[in-house]
Amino acid sequence: MNSIATICFKPCVPSPKLCPKTSFRKFPLTTIPRSSLQDSQPPNSTQQQQLNLSVLRFTLGIPGLDESYLPRWIGYGFGSLLLLNHFIGSDAVAVTPAQLSTEVLGLSLASFSIVLPYLGKFLKGTQPVDEKTIPDGTEQIFVMSTEIVNGLKEDLAWASYVLLRNTNAIAMLIFIQGQICTRGYWNIPDDTSKEILPGWFKKKIEKAGLYDLKDTLYFPQDADSEFQDLVPTGTRCLLIQPVLHASNESDSGLQKPDGFILLASTTRYAFSNKDKAWIAAVANKFRGFNSSKSRLSWLN
Amino acid sequence: MEAGTALTLTSRFHTFFPFNTADSNTSFQPRFTLSSPSPSPSSSSFSAFSYRGPTPKRDFLADWVSQNDDVVRTLPIYVGSASLFAVLLNRALSGIAPVADAGSSQSRADLLTLGLAVTNILTGLVWLSIRPKSITVVNPRGVECKRLCSTLPEVALNELLWVWESLSDATCCRSLVVVYESRCVLQIGFAAESSTGDDEAVNVDANKLMQGSVYQGVLKSGAQSYLANLSLYPGKSELPFIPSNTQAVILQPLGDKGIAIIGGDTIRGYTASDQAWITYIGEKLDSTLAKYVKHHPLTPQD
Repeated sequence: MNSIATICFKPCVPSPKLCPKTSFRKFPLTTIPRSSLQDSQPPNSTQQQQLNLSVLRFTLGIPGLDESYLPRWIGYGFGSLLLLNHFIGSDAVAVTPAQLSTEVLGLSLASFSIVLPYLGKFLKGTQPVDEKTIPDGTEQIFVMSTEIVNGLKEDLAWASYVLLRNTNAIAMLIFIQGQICTRGYWNIPDDTSKEILPGWFKKKIEKAGLYDLKDTLYFPQDADSEFQDLVPTGTRCLLIQPVLHASNESDSGLQKPDGFILLASTTRYAFSNKDKAWIAAVANKFRGFNSSKSRLSWLN
Repeated sequence: MEAGTALTLTSRFHTFFPFNTADSNTSFQPRFTLSSPSPSPSSSSFSAFSYRGPTPKRDFLADWVSQNDDVVRTLPIYVGSASLFAVLLNRALSGIAPVADAGSSQSRADLLTLGLAVTNILTGLVWLSIRPKSITVVNPRGVECKRLCSTLPEVALNELLWVWESLSDATCCRSLVVVYESRCVLQIGFAAESSTGDDEAVNVDANKLMQGSVYQGVLKSGAQSYLANLSLYPGKSELPFIPSNTQAVILQPLGDKGIAIIGGDTIRGYTASDQAWITYIGEKLDSTLAKYVKHHPLTPQD
């Protein structure tokens, strides 16, 4: 692997006297995981307080190559070299126990390295790297049921636009009070006219059984195995946010679900906690849209 | 299939949550609802019918990593250095001649393992370097207030209150002031205490604000202005109505007729995602208010 030669992982622990090697560039590309607030001084390891650890962040400069997956490739590469060494490099001579123990250690380290990028995805400060991809065979549509009142129509149009712009979703569907609004890339059968699409979606929702949702459902990966019929093919991540009906005080906090917002994305773990908070805020907008109780009770 | 998915334990729980008061703003761990035997599309009574369908599997590894952030960051360093020592120890103890031929398979295996150990150590150090600094929250010093322009119709008022609820739930916003058409339409959250000292909030002088440099600057650029650290900003004196120790402020123009001033309690507390959302909310608010707020001519100054 030529790329390893240029990285030159020399086993020297970084010291304050480390001169910046030319192979380490200090300018991370956008693909490097980085935090919005930089810090190189972990408070609980005193011996590293003077070190600027950000010199370790480098890039090969190849667009599309994600260096955070480097431990995984090194794990695969070195692991297979170890196996190669075991079977081919030493078959003439008996394998000593010392070599066996080294190889066992090496293989377990390799499998740990392979898992490392997956663990790193959940740490604070890393950014999702995958770009939104549009699945094949989908069309971009924007459909609304015809019986929606004008005020709600404007809100739905705005909400659908904003949700698709600001999150990693490629397709969204709002189902509220029996009315549908969908936008984004969906798998619709060819030559369907726009008028029958709301009914088509409603049938799909009935088939999927999405009624009376009280809790947010979040399927971070492999969502298309669960909701194959409904979501566009190639969906990996699905978030269904219920829209609750505003309840009266006398019901002691019981909230009847009024509908839901469904967001589908082709990347795994597409919705961070911040995204989910904002999606819940958008869902609140439709809460109790036609109810007599409003947020203004405290004015009277 | 991702290597990681093999590690997630797949177990489906079905626990009984009677009439879960689902506040969608609390924690977002996947929850599980009772599967009832006969779901019906009509929601006339919510006693026996609840959602029956696929429920998300628990992702133990992701939860564990998020909760033990510090431990996981240093884990590769410990693993790497421990294996480094183990390899060297193994080499020393197994009586390999120090002048072993360089091509021996033992040496090759040792070198590969050393390479993996170093990879782990460096990954751990990189993870340590991207740890975000934890910024402390500074509680705003002032009084709470809720002032709405009462001549507006209910639609507009609901929209304004929705904006306040969303901002206070999803961001670090603690005070919100909306000025539109030379009138203060909304002042909510924390506000600076007025000098009369009887727990009243400072009134927003909309005319003075609109003639000040802060407003004019934002209006001219037409774009959102994010003051990540308000104490460094000289125009702070033009915003006397928000608490004096407000840490970060977003100034969002509402079309060309108004401004929303969103004060937060953390330095650099608004993320890029928050800024994008606030921009779109500003546009929506502008289109709603334009319909309902009547033009209020500016009184001429002396």
